[in-house]
Amino acid sequence: MSPPRNTHYPVLMGTLRKAGKRPSEPDRASAPWEANLQATCECLSWRGALDNLERRRAEDTLGETTYAHFPAHTRAALVTAHLLLERGRISEHELETRMNQVRARLQSS
Amino acid sequence: MSTTHDHDHAPIEAAGEISEFDVLETAIRGLAIEKGLFSPEDHRRFMEWAQRIGPHGGSRLVARAWLDPGFKQRLLADGTETSKEIGIDWLDPTGTGTPSDFTYFYVLENTPKVHNLIVCTLCSCYPRPVLGQAPEWYKTPHYRRRAVRWPREVLAEFGLHLAADVEVRVHDSNQKSRFMVMPMRPEGTEGWTEDQLAAIVTRDTMIGVALPRADWTADRSPVATSR
Repeated sequence: MSPPRNTHYPVLMGTLRKAGKRPSEPDRASAPWEANLQATCECLSWRGALDNLERRRAEDTLGETTYAHFPAHTRAALVTAHLLLERGRISEHELETRMNQVRARLQSS
Repeated sequence: MSTTHDHDHAPIEAAGEISEFDVLETAIRGLAIEKGLFSPEDHRRFMEWAQRIGPHGGSRLVARAWLDPGFKQRLLADGTETSKEIGIDWLDPTGTGTPSDFTYFYVLENTPKVHNLIVCTLCSCYPRPVLGQAPEWYKTPHYRRRAVRWPREVLAEFGLHLAADVEVRVHDSNQKSRFMVMPMRPEGTEGWTEDQLAAIVTRDTMIGVALPRADWTADRSPVATSR
């Protein structure tokens, strides 16, 4: 298991604009997307695409480097995407295109 | 079908600002499903499981153990198997557990001379089938690094000051082991039912950063008084 690379993917770094540079509150209520992400991570690990322990270790590593300025509770999403990009499971173009589509859909509803 | 809507409730508010992480999560999930990394049914299975779990499972285990010595003995001997007696199967939701959670489950009994505390120094392993999702602070490197080095100081930061003659044992979770603390039953709970007792066994008391009190439930804490 090689350590994750500190690649700065523009599509992921751009999410900081709205996340803001603030620490997570210790006992804040989780947002619905976090439960969805947790289930996604379990599925990825269960089906062999991305092991949970590798992801958690990468969250520690990248959370203190590449994503140090992001709120702690957002790093699981960033690192999951980061590792899927790094392993070629998805491409930056695919992710950016899909994020634009999702954003447009959510904003219009 | 009725065309009227005359029952009484507040109007549903428009959604707030859309988070970039709502967008990112939805995009990741959609792409992963499209590429066959997992199925929508897989995702639903984990979502429904996650919504079912919570600290109520652990509270029930402790409350029953306080009332039933035989159950307590079984729970301390084999936490995984004994959890089934209150309807918690560590093999849910896949038949082999979750990728994170199917392990051996150990219940650690506090005594007047031993206090237990759980942590995961490696990542954020947590006994989710009995306690639900881990609190945010449990996952921080700050807690994970310091709990094993300076447990008394960490406990003091939670407001828990233990006598010097109480041994503090810190249990580091890992891929094979999950731990939960069985706190001591507090005074003032004599004659209580299992439901009453379960209500005061809050999440933090089963992590080990707090002690149960007769006047403190997850929904109701005592009013703070100035000193």
